[in-house]
Amino acid sequence: MTNTNHGTFFIERRYDASPQRVFAAWSDADSKRAWHVEGKGWELHSYELDFREGGRESGSFRFLDGVKVFGEETTFSNETIYDEIIPNERLIFTYSMSRNGKRFSVSLATVEFKGDGAGTRLMFTEHAAFFEGADGLQMREQGWQELLGKLDAFLAKSA
Amino acid sequence: MQRSVSHATFVIERAYKATPAKVFAAFADPKSKAQWFVGPDNWEKSDHKLDFRVGGKESVSGGPPGGVVHYYNATIWDIVEGERIITSYEMHLNKTRISVSVGTTEIKSSGAGSKLIYTEQGAFLDGYDDAGERERGTQELFNQLERHLAR
Repeated sequence: MTNTNHGTFFIERRYDASPQRVFAAWSDADSKRAWHVEGKGWELHSYELDFREGGRESGSFRFLDGVKVFGEETTFSNETIYDEIIPNERLIFTYSMSRNGKRFSVSLATVEFKGDGAGTRLMFTEHAAFFEGADGLQMREQGWQELLGKLDAFLAKSA
Repeated sequence: MQRSVSHATFVIERAYKATPAKVFAAFADPKSKAQWFVGPDNWEKSDHKLDFRVGGKESVSGGPPGGVVHYYNATIWDIVEGERIITSYEMHLNKTRISVSVGTTEIKSSGAGSKLIYTEQGAFLDGYDDAGERERGTQELFNQLERHLAR
């Protein structure tokens, strides 16, 4: 029996870097990997980024606390397709997430980059369908808050 | 150009006399879907293409004779046989992308027939389209599905 829930969240952040630099942190595979993919508590199995409209991004990660949290060895994976790329202005992508090979969400994310003085205002909107075994809206939003915080640290370090 | 994004969600619920298996087949079988998933009768249309599997694509285009061509390009993200289909799709008017959406189709058994719940979560781009117009168009498609199921 399927059980599907839908939700939307919106995050806005300001970065002390130009739209060109903030956008490059999403488009350049090494940069994206540094703030988006590598993380404490995770062991990276694979990561690929083909940054063009219709291109794909995929990652697979072992969650080191899997046994403690889920009672079993746990691998998360995601599949992304880039729907729209307007350099330095807008990014739209669709992605699904799976735990141990079982898909639990499909989302549409829009990232808007707007010049704001010497910096950038970034607006992130995610529409998600969560189903069996899903994390849910609150945890997903929290996850993106953390990632967008890591982006801030990455931009400050690479300035 | 001034870029803008309008975000919206709409839900359509319909009751059909056909069984969930029959309603699901109208989405899954390319020949069935091509019969009802089309624009108005007087439109010029392309062939409808559907590769019904997770990761598969669907496409169709059409428009009034000599007018703007509407392109629909979809990717299938999730299939639960008889119960659920999740697709993402983008619409173009000629070469302009006007929206990217995620559509969830849920099919549930209801008495001798089915209940269909369609949820669309969309990003409508640069002022070309809005959720109200999209919802009206989608309602019309589900009317055509009803006529298709009755045949």
